[in-house]
Amino acid sequence: MYLRSGKIGIFDLSSKELVEEDFVEEETWDKMSSLSIADRLASVHGEDSLVLGTGVLTGSFVPASCAGILRARADGDSISRSMPIMGFAGFELKLSGFDFIVIKGVAEKPSYLWIRDGMIDIVTAEEMRPRDSWARTDKILADQGDSKIQVVAGGPWCDSGHPRSQTVVDYWGGDDKMGVGAELGKKNLVAIAFRGMGELELAEPEGHFEDAILLMREHVLALGQNHGLASYSDVADRSDFKGLLHRNVGCYGCPFPCRSYLKVAEDPGELRLVAKEPGYLHYDIPALQKAFEVGLDAKDSTLAFMECAKEGAEAFSVLQMSSENSKKVTLETIHEVLKNPADPKHTKMERPPGNFESSFADSNTYRTCLGFGLCPRYWAKAGFDMPRIASFAEDLLGRKIPSDDS
Amino acid sequence: MRLKIDPLKCVRCGLCEVACSLNRDSVLTPMTSSIMLHVDGKANYFGLVLKTGGSCLVLARPEGSSTGQQATGSGGPGAKPILLREVCDLCEGSPRCAQICPTLCITVVD
Repeated sequence: MYLRSGKIGIFDLSSKELVEEDFVEEETWDKMSSLSIADRLASVHGEDSLVLGTGVLTGSFVPASCAGILRARADGDSISRSMPIMGFAGFELKLSGFDFIVIKGVAEKPSYLWIRDGMIDIVTAEEMRPRDSWARTDKILADQGDSKIQVVAGGPWCDSGHPRSQTVVDYWGGDDKMGVGAELGKKNLVAIAFRGMGELELAEPEGHFEDAILLMREHVLALGQNHGLASYSDVADRSDFKGLLHRNVGCYGCPFPCRSYLKVAEDPGELRLVAKEPGYLHYDIPALQKAFEVGLDAKDSTLAFMECAKEGAEAFSVLQMSSENSKKVTLETIHEVLKNPADPKHTKMERPPGNFESSFADSNTYRTCLGFGLCPRYWAKAGFDMPRIASFAEDLLGRKIPSDDS
Repeated sequence: MRLKIDPLKCVRCGLCEVACSLNRDSVLTPMTSSIMLHVDGKANYFGLVLKTGGSCLVLARPEGSSTGQQATGSGGPGAKPILLREVCDLCEGSPRCAQICPTLCITVVD
């Protein structure tokens, strides 16, 4: 099987048992979407399941083929949604030995899942429960002895089941705008960790490599010089933000990064690894807009987002709660909200806008792009070209794929 | 001919690792590459490690490049350490990592 491991893992947290099923590639584009497959798996194994998966192009040389997904019941309501998982998480998940992973049941004790080499272990981690998401991630990386492990971690807000909690992916917030963190908490999971050490076969490795380079060069030429998050949103195009900029960081396969690392605890020009927590990786556009709207500057926004990520709290919502509670939003009022979260049902709080969903004007293109395993933000910028993407996928899979309506 | 690495141009996209392995084994994986991303301290500190002839390593760190034989490159216990990997053979004259690097962090020089 090309571009797939050929295996679905179904892990029951209650019984600690792993059941494996063969992954059979669907025949049409719509059904091949990672979002559609996750929906089908949840309909079989229960809507309260968590489903992790990747798109057919995730991990390929197609530019920005970094996206995986995590599907869960969202926001404490009856609607399930899939959050994107970006950075290197989708790439590592694709090479973990599973194409999709279904997580059922509830762990008896606080635990994390450790996924690699086609294996899934549940590791009891009671000591992590009071810790924040960064401490959990650090401990998992240290215990498993590998700094490239990807960790989707919860924090105290997730443990409490707060609907405005968020999972953090590899330390950073911005992927989870739908309260998946609360679903982790309900399953007694402190984190899900995975490492990709497998390999994937391609139908046409040489042709794919050459075609992808041509496409990437087209994009790079058209997109021009990259300025990190400021290349994607005016919100980062202000002097205090740029004054703290250390480096721009890409997700897997991205030639035009949207992630800007700001340093607040040391000189942004310091290149050595000096301070333990020098700053934060910004890519959450709605939260940053909100932060500036309520009067924070880039430095305080960075410090606030660090605290939100550690607590497993969704930053836009925290800022909104803080502005409802106080005339002036400060780090102190944010800290107060983080330690004493209000129930969003009793506030005027709106649902946080999606960070990547708004990249496209219509949700169908967003779903198609993400379902292939491609970053919607990058592809909205570069120009999503379905026929060309489909051609890439067909060459990689070595067969023609019809659309549903053909 | 050799590879020149300008670490400050690196955006940590990881394509060089996968391109290197593709040349070696015709599969998608970062596990057999002669070039590795070195990541430390969350997102802000990263660079590249390249294994060249004589088991020599080019350490392209943000603060500057150097050569040596220090065993580095984050891989973890399950990953193949860089010192056990194949030496870069420059892909027989057309290095894949330099071809695909989108920021010209990796270039070919005489």
